[in-house]
Amino acid sequence: MNLQAVLVVAAALFAIGVYGALSQQSLVMLIMGLEMMINAGILAAVGFWSLAAGGNPQGEMLVIMFMTVMAVEMALGFSLITNVYRIRRADITEKLRRLRE
Amino acid sequence: MNAPSWTTVLFWFFAAGGVITGYRVFRADSMVRAAFFLLASFAATGGLLVLLGAEFLGMVLILMMAGEMLVMAIIMVMYMMNPAGLNPMFMVHQHRTSVIAAVASFLALAVLPFVITLPARANPRPVAATAQLGTELLGDSMLVFQTAGVTLLATIVGTVALTSRRGRYGDAEEGSKEPPLEEEAMESP
Amino acid sequence: MNGYASAGVAVVLTGVALAVGIYLVAIGDRLLASLVGGGGIGWRTAVVRPAQRATLLLLQQRLTTEPSDAPGWALAPAFFLALAAVALAMVPVARGRAAADPATGFVVFSAAIALVMIAVFLHGWSPDAALPLHGAYRYGAQALSFQIPFLLAMLAAALPAQSLSIVDIVAAQDTVWNVIRTPLGLPLFLIVGASVSSWGPVNLADAADIAGGTSAEDSGVGRLLWQTARYGMLVAVAAMGGALFLGGWWGPLLPGPFWVILKTVVLLLAFLAAGHLLARVRTETFVVVSWAVLIPLALVNIFFTGAFLL
Repeated sequence: MNLQAVLVVAAALFAIGVYGALSQQSLVMLIMGLEMMINAGILAAVGFWSLAAGGNPQGEMLVIMFMTVMAVEMALGFSLITNVYRIRRADITEKLRRLRE
Repeated sequence: MNAPSWTTVLFWFFAAGGVITGYRVFRADSMVRAAFFLLASFAATGGLLVLLGAEFLGMVLILMMAGEMLVMAIIMVMYMMNPAGLNPMFMVHQHRTSVIAAVASFLALAVLPFVITLPARANPRPVAATAQLGTELLGDSMLVFQTAGVTLLATIVGTVALTSRRGRYGDAEEGSKEPPLEEEAMESP
Repeated sequence: MNGYASAGVAVVLTGVALAVGIYLVAIGDRLLASLVGGGGIGWRTAVVRPAQRATLLLLQQRLTTEPSDAPGWALAPAFFLALAAVALAMVPVARGRAAADPATGFVVFSAAIALVMIAVFLHGWSPDAALPLHGAYRYGAQALSFQIPFLLAMLAAALPAQSLSIVDIVAAQDTVWNVIRTPLGLPLFLIVGASVSSWGPVNLADAADIAGGTSAEDSGVGRLLWQTARYGMLVAVAAMGGALFLGGWWGPLLPGPFWVILKTVVLLLAFLAAGHLLARVRTETFVVVSWAVLIPLALVNIFFTGAFLL
């Protein structure tokens, strides 16, 4: 368990997140991709905190901010999806080509 | 060569589990299954965080994600054209571009740690990370912590404002419409 | 004793405690039902009947719905039971000793409670039938509303100990029990604790008005395991309530484990009595009360605890 291994695992999670965020048609699945990218960020940050920062607790603060971002992103994402669904009866990105309707 | 220690075994178990379930998220044929796979992936990451010494953060990640995935599953069952989410589905666009982007980002991020020299100052063990974090949260980093709190409060207010449709006194958009000029309903009875 | 042996002892101890607790709940439930509803069954019947019922369910054929998600359906009860075991393992059994005492035992217990909603949703969703899904949705609304008052109520109990380790929280109650220092904590914890395992007046997910809710399509060993897991979670919550608010192992004269068991049994009796005496609340009422009444009360409780400590 060294820093390189942690970073490679984080890179794999990030890559899966990139794939999901770019390829999914459903808005909710798209958010899942974003979440997974943030998840990779959390893992990498904790890896650096644990194995490279020499016990500085501010690394953990960074992770708490990551978690805040995650919560905000999900809450706002879902409320936007709810609004889009109410107005367009749509939950996939293809139906949002026209921003004005 | 000595036998791998149990932390190494657990590390690779959680790492493989997290990546495989993460991959299954976008290969699952139902959205609810995808949400459960994502939760499994997050739980594996939580395990990794605990192994790395951040017990509190790992458990909080799992705690937070449990609620989040439930909301996700509920929203998906609500809005999908396929109500219980049990029919097979595969909905992707720009598949090739996405795969290329994912592979490229993986290569870029995974090669980097082996090319550059990383600092190697591991935490002293055993580390009282939880107590340390608590002191930090309400000490030097209190402002950061408060900022996170205020951000979350603003999100709560914003989300309620965005989604509330019907309040105690009628529809939410009712007050924003101006009353009609004609007063046919107000004629004397 | 080396590390692996003590870990093995802890696992076995947790398993035995869980099994005994579950059986006691089954017996007590029957006795109270006959006490409240008449048709008195004797002690002997009450003791034998759960084993008969379990054997019947074990031998019964397991029916499935046509488009079900079989792995999820099989996994949900086992997952729930595992969460109950994890939650019970956090409870200290004797002075300074618990099956597991991580520095963040508080968060581990809360995470187990939070994951219960995943288990219940999985259990209601996987049969792909109307009534179970209805139950799952009810539990979703219920669980998302009780999480915050639950965490706040537990937080008030952790405040005097200045620690998130459950053993430290109990150790800090040597002079005054938390039930005095955080007067509203125990009632809040019990309301939420009953909802976690869908019990009694707050049983919305597995309620009788939707024909058993998430377990409406269960049969055979799946039904047995699901009921077992619900009882197990009830035991874990009662034991944790005893540890967090009633002083755990502290008590005069008798040894610590006796007091732990006594407090757990008292809280279990309260749960069982509530299950037979109180009417079930509606989902809307529960959600509104959680957000509008329980959260403010929990905050007042934290304020009171803080004032007491200062």
